[in-house]
Amino acid sequence: MKTKRNAIFIYLFTILAFLLATCIGSQLISPAEIGRILCAHFFPTEQATNLSEIHAAIFMKVRLPRTLMAFLVGACLSVSGTMMQSILQNPLASSYTLGVSSGASLGAALIILALSSFSLPGIFLPITAFVFGLLTVFLAIFFTNQLDQRMENQTIILVGMVLSLFVNAILTMITSLFSNHLQRFMFWSMGSFASTTWEQMRLILPFILVAFLLACCFTKEMDIMTFGEVQAKSVGVPIKRVKLLLITLSALLTGVCVAFCGTIGFIDLIAPHMVRKLFGPSHKYVIPFSALLGGGFMMLADLISRTILSPRQLPVGAVTALIGAPFFAYIYFHKEKGGRTSC
Amino acid sequence: MLTVEHLQVSYGNTPVLKDISFSLNPSQTLCILGPNGCGKTTLLHALCALLPYKGTITYKGRSIATMKQKELARAFALMEQSNTSYFSYSVWDTVMMGRYQFMKKGLFLTTSKEDERVVEECLLLTQLLDKKDTPIHTLSGGQLQRVFLARTLAQDPEIILLDEPTNHLDLKFQVELLSYLKEWSEQKNRSVIGVFHDINLARSFSQQFLFLKEGKQMGFGNFDEFVTGDFLEQVYDMNVVSYMKESYEKWKTVKDL
Repeated sequence: MKTKRNAIFIYLFTILAFLLATCIGSQLISPAEIGRILCAHFFPTEQATNLSEIHAAIFMKVRLPRTLMAFLVGACLSVSGTMMQSILQNPLASSYTLGVSSGASLGAALIILALSSFSLPGIFLPITAFVFGLLTVFLAIFFTNQLDQRMENQTIILVGMVLSLFVNAILTMITSLFSNHLQRFMFWSMGSFASTTWEQMRLILPFILVAFLLACCFTKEMDIMTFGEVQAKSVGVPIKRVKLLLITLSALLTGVCVAFCGTIGFIDLIAPHMVRKLFGPSHKYVIPFSALLGGGFMMLADLISRTILSPRQLPVGAVTALIGAPFFAYIYFHKEKGGRTSC
Repeated sequence: MLTVEHLQVSYGNTPVLKDISFSLNPSQTLCILGPNGCGKTTLLHALCALLPYKGTITYKGRSIATMKQKELARAFALMEQSNTSYFSYSVWDTVMMGRYQFMKKGLFLTTSKEDERVVEECLLLTQLLDKKDTPIHTLSGGQLQRVFLARTLAQDPEIILLDEPTNHLDLKFQVELLSYLKEWSEQKNRSVIGVFHDINLARSFSQQFLFLKEGKQMGFGNFDEFVTGDFLEQVYDMNVVSYMKESYEKWKTVKDL
């Protein structure tokens, strides 16, 4: 009963966040008008009465792709965070721990530098960032495997952190040497949905859908893995294989998001944490509802980022961090009896 | 059923277990004893292939090194000395995790009526059925230990490996637990290997003993056949027999003894 009530709450929250994000902006568009725009778009034969062409263009070309991208990125980051927290048995873990964002940032900085010298299509930026992000994670896994055949969590975390610091050091060198070219990089690194297009959506959707479906197939393993690797192995989970797959999926989900929208933090911590409070820790609930809640949060964060100092736009990463950090501190420390359960 | 020959385990260059050999038949129980740090837990982990080892461990004539994770899980279930999880699952969900290898395969793993029946039976045995919906972080240490025991039983293995199973349990439950495990082993023709610190408790559980000290096998066999006062002094660096006698003397002050 409680599960049903909480599920309805999350569905309503997501719908409300979507409506707010699509209705509010420099031009207010009412939900009824959105309905008419959508009808006119999908059923063009129907006569569109009182339809503002400007509103239709704003909604279909700017606001809808931007809001949907915000939803997808929020959902991906939350699912990715949930997986990493289960694998590393740590509610504060995310794929950023393994250097996805550092690698992607380095790739983005390099391509932005290249774009300032050569004429390359804009799509090179997200693709390079994505490849560098994934490469960093694979390097982390490779080094972990070399150092520790059993791929234990503390080795993964340590290698990830060391690699992140190393990649960040290279990034700092580049930014200090070529600071005049890197304004675009600075804005990219704080995260934004401002340049979202339908083309980008089409590009990332297959990755996201496959990764999300695969994540849903491993919810039982994720539950068991929270009790540690020895227990997981003991009940029969092929831990090394499952862990590698889930880390790759998690890196893939985060890598896609960072590549297109920059580094956006805190959603991957807040959404799973809140869902666990509402539904308990079982991943069959945490994965799908974190996706919805994270998506909803991100749509609202994007709404704030583009409206609060309108016409200026704030980087959405700054908004999620500004709201997310104190909010997360509150929900994390304002807890019922709990924490690590052990005997 | 289980044969261990010249087993060696090292952590890096440090040898932790040196030349361990013993065997166990179905329905036999075995107690592993020894001072702290002698390699008892390492031995349990090696027995279910959680650690790389040298030497041979064979289960039903087959080297465990060649067995898949699920085959190992059907043969061995390990109940660790301490179990931790940051996330607070319900008692039911935690015990159900023991049924992982039996869950129906498909796009998503699903539990069957049989899984539910087994979990319910294990909760009944560990007297936790009334707490099945309770989040595990609200339980006491003893109750939590029983939850993990129920999960180990739910795995329905051929050999149960217990690492100090009576930790956190009150005296009544310690006795009940060991007597249940003995009964389980005899009725189902399966084995239990337990690491113990309390020699009295261990003796009430089994006659078959393996003593370790600093990674070396000090003795293996029927307790009455090879254990002497000198032997125990050699293992524990103290006069165990006189300590036990002193303890017994103190009990004589109890009025109705």
